[in-house]
Amino acid sequence: MIEQLKNSLTQLTSSEHLNQLSAIILTLAAYQFGQFCYQRSNRLMLFHPVVIAGCMIAAVLFYFDISYSQYRDGSQLFYFLLGPATVALAVPLYQEFRHIRQLAGPILITVMLGATIAAGSAVLLGGLMGAEGEVLRSIASKSVTTPIALGISDKIHGISTLTTGVVVATGILGALMAPLAFRLCSLTDPRLQGIVLGLNAHGIGTAVAFEKNASCGAFSSLAMGLTGAFTALTLPYAIHFFGI
Amino acid sequence: MVRGLLVLFFFQWLGEWISLATQAPIPGPVIGMLLLLLALLLRQKVSSGLQQSSHVLVQHLSLLFLPAGVGIFFLSKDVIAQWPAIAVAMVLGTLISLVLSSWIVKKQVRSDD
Repeated sequence: MIEQLKNSLTQLTSSEHLNQLSAIILTLAAYQFGQFCYQRSNRLMLFHPVVIAGCMIAAVLFYFDISYSQYRDGSQLFYFLLGPATVALAVPLYQEFRHIRQLAGPILITVMLGATIAAGSAVLLGGLMGAEGEVLRSIASKSVTTPIALGISDKIHGISTLTTGVVVATGILGALMAPLAFRLCSLTDPRLQGIVLGLNAHGIGTAVAFEKNASCGAFSSLAMGLTGAFTALTLPYAIHFFGI
Repeated sequence: MVRGLLVLFFFQWLGEWISLATQAPIPGPVIGMLLLLLALLLRQKVSSGLQQSSHVLVQHLSLLFLPAGVGIFFLSKDVIAQWPAIAVAMVLGTLISLVLSSWIVKKQVRSDD
């Protein structure tokens, strides 16, 4: 009887279905806890759900000796929903469209200069520190939203896992350090802050921008989309031109 | 809510299809977002169902990024060997571009007044 129970239990844990459920429960619980910490800390960026929940999930995986690929396979649901969530950004964009049109010129110029600086500074600093070509090509698209960054990395022969890691780390770092830059330049307009967040910290910056207010979020989604498109269209040629 | 989801998935499908057919470097969901924006601008209003479902998804955007974010703790060995260069490029590079882009956007909007 007990033997039978044990057998069925091992069968269950090896089942793909249960793996998915465990990964979803783990992710949701960690996110919930992260939100609790974030609210309690008065929205301190260092306690953002992505930071707290990310560390928590990693700790659980290390402790129970679960491979990252198993967790990633199990949590496909969230990755899948990123698609419709990206499409959903059209709604706040539409609602802010009047303001966006007024600022179209500054937005376009800032995105083109900013996207070039974001990619250029990463490659230059990495190169000065002695990183090799393959690593440089993988970090060049660090400020671009993950799906576009992966496409670019693939095109310029970077390492896709490194690109994913660097993109997410940049998003977190960018959102963490953005208040510092805003204070330094005394940038107080939430719409302009949104442009800087989306340009440098893509989706994670946009998530933080939406917590500020809807108009900050809309400007951030726009800057994120434009940065991705601009980088996808120019970076492969720049890499070729500089022979990296 | 269901109608809203139907709209979102339909536009994603449309975007993915165009991205695949044209071999564009821009991913399907981004094309889908642009098409939905165009449709909303033509229609001049957002239905309550679409408003609801898009609000839920956008509000919890960071939850959807979480599994990818965990990947930072599990990078491969030859990448970890070059971590000082990568770390400097990310931290310093991101700070530089944050400050410069804040300065650029501020400069332009002020001169527009």
